[in-house]
Amino acid sequence: MTAPLESREKILNRIRAATQTVAKAPGELADAYSALPRTYIRHGRLTPEARTNLMIERLREYDAEVVECSLDELPATITAQLAASGKHNFVAPPGSPSEWMVASAWQITGLEWNLDQWDSGHGLKTAEIEQSEGVVTAASCGIADSGTIVLHHSAIEGRRVLTLLPDWHLCILKASQVVETLPEYFSLCEHPPALVTWISGPSATADIEMTRIKGVHGPRFLHVILIRDNV
Amino acid sequence: MSQPASTHPVLDPLLAPPFPQAALAVLRNPQLRKNVAHAIDVIQSKRAKLVAEKTDWQELRSSASAIRAHALENLDYYLEQFESRCTAAGGTVHWATDAAEARQIILDLLRQENATEVIKIKTMTSAEIQLNPFLEAAGISAYETDLAEIILQLGDEEPSHIVVPALHINRNQVREIFARRMGLENLSDDPKTLTNAARTWLRSKFLTIPTAISGANFLIAETGSVAIVESEGNGRMCLTLPRALITLAGIEKVIPRFQDLEVMLQILARSATGERMNPYTSLWTGVTPGDGPQRFHVVLLDNGRSSILARPRERQTLKCIRCAACMNACPVYRQTGGHAYGSVYPGPIGAILTPQLMQMHHAQSLPYASSLCGACYEVCPVKINIPEVLLDLRAQVTDQERHDLGRFFDPMYIGLRIANLLFARAWLFHTAQFFGRIGLRIFTRKDGWIHSLPGIGAKWTQTRDLRGLPDETFHGWWASRKKEAK
Repeated sequence: MTAPLESREKILNRIRAATQTVAKAPGELADAYSALPRTYIRHGRLTPEARTNLMIERLREYDAEVVECSLDELPATITAQLAASGKHNFVAPPGSPSEWMVASAWQITGLEWNLDQWDSGHGLKTAEIEQSEGVVTAASCGIADSGTIVLHHSAIEGRRVLTLLPDWHLCILKASQVVETLPEYFSLCEHPPALVTWISGPSATADIEMTRIKGVHGPRFLHVILIRDNV
Repeated sequence: MSQPASTHPVLDPLLAPPFPQAALAVLRNPQLRKNVAHAIDVIQSKRAKLVAEKTDWQELRSSASAIRAHALENLDYYLEQFESRCTAAGGTVHWATDAAEARQIILDLLRQENATEVIKIKTMTSAEIQLNPFLEAAGISAYETDLAEIILQLGDEEPSHIVVPALHINRNQVREIFARRMGLENLSDDPKTLTNAARTWLRSKFLTIPTAISGANFLIAETGSVAIVESEGNGRMCLTLPRALITLAGIEKVIPRFQDLEVMLQILARSATGERMNPYTSLWTGVTPGDGPQRFHVVLLDNGRSSILARPRERQTLKCIRCAACMNACPVYRQTGGHAYGSVYPGPIGAILTPQLMQMHHAQSLPYASSLCGACYEVCPVKINIPEVLLDLRAQVTDQERHDLGRFFDPMYIGLRIANLLFARAWLFHTAQFFGRIGLRIFTRKDGWIHSLPGIGAKWTQTRDLRGLPDETFHGWWASRKKEAK
């Protein structure tokens, strides 16, 4: 067994010997990278309305539930979704706007909200998140082409475990956050985020006879409220 | 109907029998062939539909291929960049020249964590280095968490595909395995019930085992991030709940920038499972305070990869993003399934990757496990010209055989040497032809075909018929035609 540093040098030397005829000098590397062909479709051509509709259609194909509302109707829509879920114990990230929670707490008897204030060192215990029945969060972006919801795990999206353990995830997305193509999303990320979860439908598996089964370990129910703020 | 394979498949290229021999076991197992064909048909039709709807598919392939080739040509630069960014973000990077070193590094890290158990996300690289049996021998229980991997682990089965490793096992067989190993006697064979059984079985493991091992789909040099693509959420569990995470990745997994994912994520799920996007893709960068594992290690594995890099034509093998589209499209894989390849990497990509990882010392039968039809190249999202590499590897195998003394006893070698002699001299050729015609006439049936030959000739007629020789040779006909003209 070789010492760690030795292995590092050994591997890098092997690589250098193997690629010496094709490797670019550090100064030319950036140019070589920018010269790589990128003729695929970057920008979509749909109208904002059609884009939103495509997002909804794709989400539904994944078996996600989608409801639409205006910004004013949001608190009432959240309340209706929570009531319809039949669940009472919810968690939410620390940055959740209070109007998302107040109406429902007031109108649904026995409804309980727990804020996961991990950013100030007062995060919920894993067991507490595990025992909660549902979670309500915002998102960073929606990608219509693939029906993908993007979480960058900010204070209104929650840390990663928060949208993982509860069986029911209600995600609130604005139509103005929805882009048509994946490259459009990446061009919005001026600084690459350190943590990302791309979610395309509820957790699923097709490992037994290629039959798609909804819900293995992640939330088995994905609900999306799409706020029509772009028309 | 549950029907276990008659022999346990061997996926260690050092010990596996040659492909034609290993394939026989599968070809004689109709249940296995049915299971494989069914799964392949489902994935193939889904993939075809979703690729067709992508009007810029060929442009995406060209970009993906160029990005991967560029990363490999400048691999030292991008690996060092990955290492420095990952380290700056709180991760620790280790380098392993071979499988033994990687196993030891991982074991040492687990010992530092005082781990007696570890949860795992599906990683073919860990199967490549045979990590689980090694950890088991060292007293550490490794629990697979991907549904297919659980089926294999509990059933003492071997993977036969790199994306859906248990595709050769049908629901009845899964039911039998789960009932026996989870102690659930009244389990039904409904996939939904079986999936739920796995969820329940694993839940407490996710919540209590504080150490995890993962593979990596992509390492991002620019940011030092790692990306994992999955469906079930077992990956997210392993990446989020434990205190310590060890990621094992081949050195070829690096891509230059975060933005390159805009290409990779568009081609990967479509090629692999026929979905527009897989349910979950996770990306993380070193350690994030308050979110996820607070100790993070990456083990970069060479294990023969740098030697592949050295050969210009074979280098493209390392562009592979492990989508398995090639095996799904392969007419040979469809018949034999994965076990015949004697490696954790089956199918066309396995046929070129395995012998090269073995530095051409083992698995030399694999470059011949192909009809060279080119279907694998056509579907490959990073444009690996697999037939080209197969041919080159065949040439390498032939070169090896040229120096092998055993060749003097090889009927094929002897036959070709004799043919060489005969074809070089007209009178010898005519004489041999004369006697050959008389000899073959005995075996030619009334229908004009030879259905079986004795001895070594049986090797040909076992699987195909041979047309009997016509009454007259071309030479004879030509000569008589000239005579008539006069």
